[in-house]
Amino acid sequence: MESLGDTLWDVVICGTDLQQSLLALSLSRSGKKILHIDPNGYYGGTEAAFSLQEAESWVTDVAASVAAATNGTCPWRSASICKPEAAATEGQRAATGLSFPRAYSLALAPQIIHTRSDLLSQLVSSCAYRQIEFLAVGSFYIFKASAPAQASKEMGKPTLSRIPATREDVFSTTAITAKAKRGLMKFLKFVMDYDSPPQTESWGRYADVPLTEFVQMEFKMDNELQTYIVTLTLSLDGRISTKDGLAVIHRHLTSMGVFGSGFAAVYPKWGGLSEIAQVACRAAAVGGAVYMLGTDIKTMQESSDTHDANLVMSVELSSGDTIKTRMLVRASVQDHSTTGDGVSGAMGISRLVTVIDTPLKSLFAAVVEGSPTPAVAVIAFPVGSVTTATGKVSENPVYVFAHSSDTGECPVGQSVLYFTTLSTPDSKEILMQAMDSLLTAIAAEEHAPRSLFQLHYEQARGATNSQTQGLIFDFPSPSLSLSFDDSSLESVRQAWSRITDESVAEMEYMTFPDREGAMSDEDEMYT
Amino acid sequence: MATNGSGTSHGIARTSRARTEEQRHQELEKIRKYRELEDQVRSQAAQKEFGPELFQLTSKLLRLNPEYYTVWNIRRRSLISGLLSRRSDGSSPLTESPISSQTATTQASSAVSSSSSSDATPPSHESQTTGKSGTIAEDSRNVDGEHEHASNKQQDSDATKAAAEKQDLDVLKSELAFTIPLLLESPKCYWIWSYRLWVLEQAIQRLQVPVARRIWQEELGLATKMLTKDRRNFHAWGYRRHVVATLESASLGGESMVEAEFDYTTHKINQDLSNFSAWHNRSKLIPRLLDERGADDMAREALLNQELGLVREGLNVGPDDQSLWYYHQWLMLNLVDHVGKPTIVPHFTLENRVTYFMREIREIKDLLEDYKDVQLIYESLVDYTLSLCQLEERQPNADEKGELVRWLDKLRKLDPMRSGRWTDLERDIGLKKLRQKQTQ
Repeated sequence: MESLGDTLWDVVICGTDLQQSLLALSLSRSGKKILHIDPNGYYGGTEAAFSLQEAESWVTDVAASVAAATNGTCPWRSASICKPEAAATEGQRAATGLSFPRAYSLALAPQIIHTRSDLLSQLVSSCAYRQIEFLAVGSFYIFKASAPAQASKEMGKPTLSRIPATREDVFSTTAITAKAKRGLMKFLKFVMDYDSPPQTESWGRYADVPLTEFVQMEFKMDNELQTYIVTLTLSLDGRISTKDGLAVIHRHLTSMGVFGSGFAAVYPKWGGLSEIAQVACRAAAVGGAVYMLGTDIKTMQESSDTHDANLVMSVELSSGDTIKTRMLVRASVQDHSTTGDGVSGAMGISRLVTVIDTPLKSLFAAVVEGSPTPAVAVIAFPVGSVTTATGKVSENPVYVFAHSSDTGECPVGQSVLYFTTLSTPDSKEILMQAMDSLLTAIAAEEHAPRSLFQLHYEQARGATNSQTQGLIFDFPSPSLSLSFDDSSLESVRQAWSRITDESVAEMEYMTFPDREGAMSDEDEMYT
Repeated sequence: MATNGSGTSHGIARTSRARTEEQRHQELEKIRKYRELEDQVRSQAAQKEFGPELFQLTSKLLRLNPEYYTVWNIRRRSLISGLLSRRSDGSSPLTESPISSQTATTQASSAVSSSSSSDATPPSHESQTTGKSGTIAEDSRNVDGEHEHASNKQQDSDATKAAAEKQDLDVLKSELAFTIPLLLESPKCYWIWSYRLWVLEQAIQRLQVPVARRIWQEELGLATKMLTKDRRNFHAWGYRRHVVATLESASLGGESMVEAEFDYTTHKINQDLSNFSAWHNRSKLIPRLLDERGADDMAREALLNQELGLVREGLNVGPDDQSLWYYHQWLMLNLVDHVGKPTIVPHFTLENRVTYFMREIREIKDLLEDYKDVQLIYESLVDYTLSLCQLEERQPNADEKGELVRWLDKLRKLDPMRSGRWTDLERDIGLKKLRQKQTQ
């Protein structure tokens, strides 16, 4: 059997993050010799999904590298498990109400994917979609803190208000005035055609101004409606520009109903983007790629190959093998503390992942008859709607992805909540408070939901563009966007072009026939 | 065949595929097999061999071509001459009649219903091969054995009757089940629906009321399912009305379902405002609804307000939706054109009607604030303003004339294809002599 060192690899890919995995998928029929390694013992990298034990190990690793100040090139700024405090033994774990560790698959990348996303069309054209089960993302809610104290200092119960998603929703809701409804309908109609004149003239001068200002000036929208609009964009600072905001809302609206009525986005079962990464790697492996987990690059050096004039990269792996490759593809190695825009303390997010001991059924009700039961619900805390016990008020929106057990991320009877907000010195406290407020808002009379497990971490974004240096191609740092950002796919395509022969047509990118033995939809109709 | 060619079905395109030589051969083979089957069916039918074999053949042929109505008829005849229990014309299984139990159990297939008894005779020998009827003769024999005294003939005939009804129930249910996959494929094929209706009518004729009623209630469930799949299938709405009417009728011991059906239209409208059929059905139900509720003048006015409010909410978010405007117009017609017709508010005075008209015109004008280029709004404003004038037996006043001219200008711009029509209308308003009201 040929040893690794005997092969001249066409590409060595380091890391099984989503981008690298999609690259492997794109090359899975090319016949190229691919060696795909990952320093971790698991697939998915920055988009991995963890069992409870894997989460604990990950937290330990991150904490250690933060302490040793070696986490500069990875996105993680901090990680900790706040609850349960100690659950080392079976007995302790059982007392917490948690199920066995492998019953959980907590996603580091719980991004929702709009149905019109290029990612989905690529998964379809490459036939990889067959191995992924997509679930519907259902309603979007706004958290409404109740009116503050009256003389008795009693707080009314906070509530969740569903954002109307369709014309019929707007028709039935009693929460908006007739005039405001007209404004909303006009705006939605405007957005559907925002990219052509005369609409472009209307918003042209507002392009870089926050979307909220545009809708206020041009559509006379009040604060409440502005909140609806901004929530649909999932803007982390609430100040998304008009240009970007209109594009995102347009994508949301045109994504409605594409794969079925009642939903505009989907979510892969078993851990979100990690599932896509795994399926992509599997496809590459079937195509002949060699996979090595728990393997890192120790050293590397350009040298000339004895067989042809081209330069090759000589790479020493942590496994002890030394291999030669024409190209090396890696995750971004740029230090996250200094980003491309020169601002120290790069933009980052603060995330709280919590397991809840109730199924939160009311959040996952299918609203449109005949539509699939959603597995994901989105809740937004607008700016200023979270006030901590110490009096800190949220300056940025807090977004929550609520996942039912249908996602496979927790056992039946429980649910997972992913809280995200921009990273600030107070963000962790804000997220904790948001969690308490949310649990209060959804508490039914009989049963107040309890949080059984809490994982908190901070993720920063480094390089936003890919980098090429000689034979090395570095992917950009993963996007922090809460809905999948198609621009991430650009770098994958760039890497693919560098590796593929010029003779291969651009339009063949990510387009493969089904492998033998798999039936296409057409064939199934005639059997 | 039902699915050839291209075209759309509520926006779902049917595609035609390019054919390779091999596919062409396969299709020729399919055609040959089909023709063979058809010949078999027609020749057996021509020879009046309406037995279970022909029945099975019709199953095969109808699966391939449910639109072949002659074959549905052949199937009906096969059922009547064989699988369904024999009865003489015009009698129901409920009427009692004396019959010798011995004749019941010993009749062979050659016994044609020349006997005057209305009770079922056991099925023919041949149809026993279908498996359903095999037990009937046995049941009858068991009954015979239990009551050794042949004097208890009434009990025997009751048992035979019950057995016949059970057999019919099984056959009818099986026929309904047979049509389901065909309906799923061709939901708008008239012949399948009419066959189902025939089967359902047979149920009323042959079965006890509670049993028949259950079958019809399931049918209502099916109609609801069809409307969930395609909420604008007007065949399904018409069918639903027929099923509801039958369930309400005496033949199924029914009572009025108008409230439930009214709620159903509300449910459908909330799902999709653009549902002509749901709004239409609603309009058909309202007069009955008011009558059955024994609604007094106040209740009637309340309903009118409620409906106007509802459709205005709809117009607020969907002003370009024709189905909403149609419903609004129907409501307004209740005010204007009410003589000799069932109307929501028969008690309204002229003053009431004028008030309501003026309010509606005002509300619709509000829509113009935000919807400046929606043609249907201007059309309605012109229409209602003229109707108001007619109601008050007057010409448009100066203000109204000014508005009408502006709206017609706008209509000419929005609808240039019909600018001639708008110009004509303008001229007519200017010159129009007020016609005296003919009645009242």
